[in-house]
Amino acid sequence: MQEQLGSVWLVADFFTHRYRISGRLDVRYQKLAGQLNDNTTSFLQLEDAYISNVEHPADIIASYASSTLRKQNITTVVVAQQEDGLLREQTYGSYFGTYLRTVFLTVPYFEVKGYLRLSGKLDLRTVLTTGTDAFVPILDGQMRSSVRPDIVFTGGVILVNKDRIGVFCVEEEE
Amino acid sequence: MAKILVVDDEAELLEMIRMVLQRRGDHQVVLSAEGADALAQAFADPPDLAIIDLMMPGMTGYEVCRQLRANPSTVSIPIIILTARAQPVDREAALDAGADAYMTKPVTMTELVERVDTLLAKRAAEKQPMFAGMIVLMSLRGGVGVTTLAVSLAATLAQAGGGAACLVDLCPSSGHVALQLGLRPEPNWSGLIQATDLNTQVVEGHLLQHGSGLRVLASPIFPIVGQRVPQAMMQTVLSILLQRFPAVVVDLPSVLNDITMTALQAASGVGLVVTAEAPSIQTTIGTLRVLKQWSAKLRIILNQVTPGSQPPTEAIERTLNRSLVGAIPFDPAQARALARGAPLALNNPDSPLTQAVQELLVKVS
Repeated sequence: MQEQLGSVWLVADFFTHRYRISGRLDVRYQKLAGQLNDNTTSFLQLEDAYISNVEHPADIIASYASSTLRKQNITTVVVAQQEDGLLREQTYGSYFGTYLRTVFLTVPYFEVKGYLRLSGKLDLRTVLTTGTDAFVPILDGQMRSSVRPDIVFTGGVILVNKDRIGVFCVEEEE
Repeated sequence: MAKILVVDDEAELLEMIRMVLQRRGDHQVVLSAEGADALAQAFADPPDLAIIDLMMPGMTGYEVCRQLRANPSTVSIPIIILTARAQPVDREAALDAGADAYMTKPVTMTELVERVDTLLAKRAAEKQPMFAGMIVLMSLRGGVGVTTLAVSLAATLAQAGGGAACLVDLCPSSGHVALQLGLRPEPNWSGLIQATDLNTQVVEGHLLQHGSGLRVLASPIFPIVGQRVPQAMMQTVLSILLQRFPAVVVDLPSVLNDITMTALQAASGVGLVVTAEAPSIQTTIGTLRVLKQWSAKLRIILNQVTPGSQPPTEAIERTLNRSLVGAIPFDPAQARALARGAPLALNNPDSPLTQAVQELLVKVS
């Protein structure tokens, strides 16, 4: 008997400018980070999507059995378990030679705090522009509404759309 | 073994939860894939516990939770929210909607079963009756709110004890207990007068069922003329009810006759209801004198039935030469609530009147 209630589906919270969409993503063939960074498609297919306004994030205003998100309009994706939100090479056995830096960044409507895992000298321009990945993972992230500070979302990882970042700050090393 | 309602739109998950709760807890599990159906099942036959998903098409888990809490028959069942929405705002909203516990998927079956067991054990402890025995409420002066108080006490006992309470209306001239609970008084105890073999089954067959779980033995809708109510019959009926229910509340008419004396004899506590008006106080002084053989079980309850200021309770106690066991405040909302057949004690736990009734029960017990 399967002991844990889990499946090939990953439930995550997807944020666009003003909306929170909680939905199920099929991760049988590709993990979430892979699908977000897959530049062969501009869309993400969700099942059982439940939509809330970010100002009232617990109130479900609509639900649909199937929905499509335009990836470039996703600002962040909040995932409860870190391993569900990262690529395999970003998780298992990837800790050697890496270190974490505390970061603070802003996206429309939210400010995000958490840790950025780096493997070399920190160069934010490299983080934000080099490579084909459109989303940067912020580990043990906390996302707070910039206009309603009582609204907070937390996740093992928050994937942030690089194109939607306003300011990106890194704490000094002690 | 408990009856558990599980509501989730994932069929596989429903089946898995059913299998585990049946195997590990020997529970009876009822499944539902959507909110409206779940509510219909819960209201028809209330479960002992409900496990509810938040994200469901049609009606969300929040709404299911709110409606369960709004219905007297399901107001106190433990509710576990089992959801993939893991954010603090979701937990807060679920608890605000009335959930007792919040679990996020993925969850292990061991965790789920443990939480179910904990909540069922807590509820079982809460279901211990606040009062065991028979409380009789009376006043030899009418219009002091005896029936309303009897209904409030019985409803509170039923709610606290998972329905294990019975309210008896002994007024032979069209009592109003059923009316205040929004029930049609058919059948009523007049049907027991002719019964040849009075037993539990026959008496049960004459009880009304209120949505709160309270059982009611109503009085006849029209006054009984030319037919005597046999004392022995009422003695047997009250004795059967006392065996069947942990708590029995009796609303007595404003007379002392064979029937009321039978109830007073059987009662473990007698509440004499008094208002602050002189005629009521005078009648109560007389009643105390007449019933002095049962002095030890007499309790005086001050009931405010009109708005406005009252004389100090100390003055009333001095006049009666007895302490008051409780004072029930006036609440203008009570009249409207009773007109709807929904007494405040059931639907407004924050009302000062409801709280006074609860305190009274603790003192009486």
